[in-house]
Amino acid sequence: MYGRKACQLVKETATGEKGQIKPFNDDMFNQVIQECCSHHLELQSLFRNMQEEGLDIQTTRNADFYGALIHHLSLTRNKRCLMAYMYNRAEVIRSLRWKLGRVLPEEISKKLSSSEKEYLKGYSASLDAYMNDINLDLTVDMVPPKDPYIQVRVLDDIGEVVLTDCSANLARYSMHFLKRTDAEPYISQGLMEELVS
Amino acid sequence: MESGSRDGTTEDLESLIATTDAELLRRAWRNEKAAPEILRYEKHLVDRIEGQIQLMEETVDDYTETGVDPLTVSLYQMDLDRTQFLLRSYLRTRLLKIERFILHILKTDELHERLSDKEKIFARRCAGVIGKHLDDSVLLNLPENYQSALRQSTTSEEDDMVLEPRLDTFVVCKAREYISPSEFQDDSNSSLSMDLILEMEPGELSFIPYRRVQRLLESGKLEMV
Repeated sequence: MYGRKACQLVKETATGEKGQIKPFNDDMFNQVIQECCSHHLELQSLFRNMQEEGLDIQTTRNADFYGALIHHLSLTRNKRCLMAYMYNRAEVIRSLRWKLGRVLPEEISKKLSSSEKEYLKGYSASLDAYMNDINLDLTVDMVPPKDPYIQVRVLDDIGEVVLTDCSANLARYSMHFLKRTDAEPYISQGLMEELVS
Repeated sequence: MESGSRDGTTEDLESLIATTDAELLRRAWRNEKAAPEILRYEKHLVDRIEGQIQLMEETVDDYTETGVDPLTVSLYQMDLDRTQFLLRSYLRTRLLKIERFILHILKTDELHERLSDKEKIFARRCAGVIGKHLDDSVLLNLPENYQSALRQSTTSEEDDMVLEPRLDTFVVCKAREYISPSEFQDDSNSSLSMDLILEMEPGELSFIPYRRVQRLLESGKLEMV
């Protein structure tokens, strides 16, 4: 049936867990594109039929015309589904950029199509340019602050780093009392965890 | 008599608090968070807040150096952190809307004018990137008459592919002054509770389609919750 595959594609984004990305469905995607092209061929051949019979496409309402109309509508529907699929995925990719930073971990990155990887790069660049422009890092401070300092445990060897008010040796499993804004990037990368009493 | 004058001072204090930049920013932030569409950028407010943040940072640094009571310093620090969070969150919320409705904003002058200059640059860059992405992956693979990102096909008479915010969505808002029934926007093409006569007393909470209070929000007669 026309449009079924495109619908499945959209369902995939709708049923997925919020904020998570599924592997790009290359196979299905290409099949839908194929379907669009064959709709277009059918449509053109129906119009050719009508022209050969000497009928005016604008006014004639015969079987061929309605056949062509069905193909046209299926094509636009497929197009909407494809665009929705890409648009929603792009939205998730943007949210990943906010949560995980410029470079995505390998297991997420391999779920993206090559065009999506390019998009992530381009989006990251425009976001960086904007934050540079306003001279403010917007990716920290994601939750309303309760206390300016938080207790954290380091999960991986980070080494000696310079923080806004001091420098610290962030050795594995050591515990620190850090400024929230200093700790947040490490927490989001999974290198630290917040200790909640 | 006595109680009356005391009430007067608390009222004065309240109105004073309500007009500080911190409170204005909080209101702008709440409005931006709750409204489905992008609102006017509060340029002057953000400029002032940025100045204050800088001032506060310097104060905190000064105090730390001169060894003022750590409790005082941490109170200043906390205030600073809260203001910074509000500012960042305000700007973030706007970016999120700009990204989501990018094509709609760029082709509607009225909305485009609501962005700050820097946001405009950001929007244009973003539009370029997402446009290329959609072109490369979908549109250029489609038959010739179907390649527009704005229209479904060349036979469409208007832009019918652009994602727009849903202005009929319900919002919770609070009146800041008395609002008479005539001030509510009536949108004749929407059938939502049109015959209902509405008025709002100051401080009253209402649950209402955003479209009807759009202009009241802009004029500051009510705020989002």
